[in-house]
Amino acid sequence: MLKNALLTLLSLAIAIGGGGGSVWYALKTQDGAGAIRIGQWTAFPDIGTPAADPYSKARVAREGVLALGRAEGLSFIAERDSGGEQLMRQCAYKIDGGFPTARFWTLYAADQSLGVVQTGRPRLAALQSYQVLRQPDNSVIISVGSRPAPGNWLLTEGAGRMYFVLTFYDTPIASSIGLSDVTLPQILRVGCNA
Amino acid sequence: MRKLLHAILLGLLGAGIVHIIVLLLVPEFSERDAWSRLAMASDLYKMTRLDAEAGGAPVVKSVDPLFYAAACRFDLTDGMVRIKAPGNVPFWSVSVYDRSGHNVYSFNDHSATAGLLDSVVLTPAQMIEVRKDLPEELQGAIFVEAPIDEGMFVIRAFVPDDSWKPTVSRFLNQGSCELQDF
Repeated sequence: MLKNALLTLLSLAIAIGGGGGSVWYALKTQDGAGAIRIGQWTAFPDIGTPAADPYSKARVAREGVLALGRAEGLSFIAERDSGGEQLMRQCAYKIDGGFPTARFWTLYAADQSLGVVQTGRPRLAALQSYQVLRQPDNSVIISVGSRPAPGNWLLTEGAGRMYFVLTFYDTPIASSIGLSDVTLPQILRVGCNA
Repeated sequence: MRKLLHAILLGLLGAGIVHIIVLLLVPEFSERDAWSRLAMASDLYKMTRLDAEAGGAPVVKSVDPLFYAAACRFDLTDGMVRIKAPGNVPFWSVSVYDRSGHNVYSFNDHSATAGLLDSVVLTPAQMIEVRKDLPEELQGAIFVEAPIDEGMFVIRAFVPDDSWKPTVSRFLNQGSCELQDF
């Protein structure tokens, strides 16, 4: 009798713990259903639309996100560099490559909650396409780090995990057809302050 | 032993069911969704700045740091709502969301007459009424037909550099969100 009760309890514990835990885990990871990966960059083109999958819907409700509409733009998030290592705030990176067509784009360094990293300085840890210097072939090289760099410099400071958020505004790639042959810049690690 | 295995298998099956149920219930019961956060910050038909610039913590997260944004909640069962903001800024865009935060419609300054933000959100039934006799003052407005009751919209405006901050701030602060009589 007691054995049966214990077994029932075990079943219930696995069901409730496992079920709840797996939902929590699924909503916590950046990856997941509906994601489109281009190099190191991940986007959720369907997030915030009525056509989104249940995971995106739950994420929207839980985090209070008001996602960009198709006519506004599309956000890409990177959490790893091209070598597969997690992005760290104490490291210097080089973001290098061409950007797809858009009226303009913005790039910022974000913390875990995807807010811009606080550097404690007047300069914002963000860049936009009207202010960047371009190479002759229209590609852009951006140096990321705590030390000023010539050319385009994205300031970051502190320690811990970091994300890059790259958003294209008023862009044809926000429609699903446009995403097929888009290339995004690569993220190369230059070095780290141990 | 077999009973233990049986119990574990049953538990895993249950976990699958619980996973699906919890996933579908999260949007229903979330008190942290955008609507609830906005409701805590301000009333219906009131423009609320979403960025931290207006003081205090940002109401809704994940707003681009190079953007200012303002939001307003409305209820179309009261009547249609008119959104206006004066002046020209480098880029603005508007999104209309339903009660649960799904993007129903979005447009940007390229869709507007002379880049001026003047828009009306209304239900298809109200649209039929308005079409019968379009008032003079609504001739240039962008009509957004949304099959929703409660909803909210967000105006996002681009701040290319610090010198634009006052202009863009003024653009959003003078923006209005009004119940339109018809």
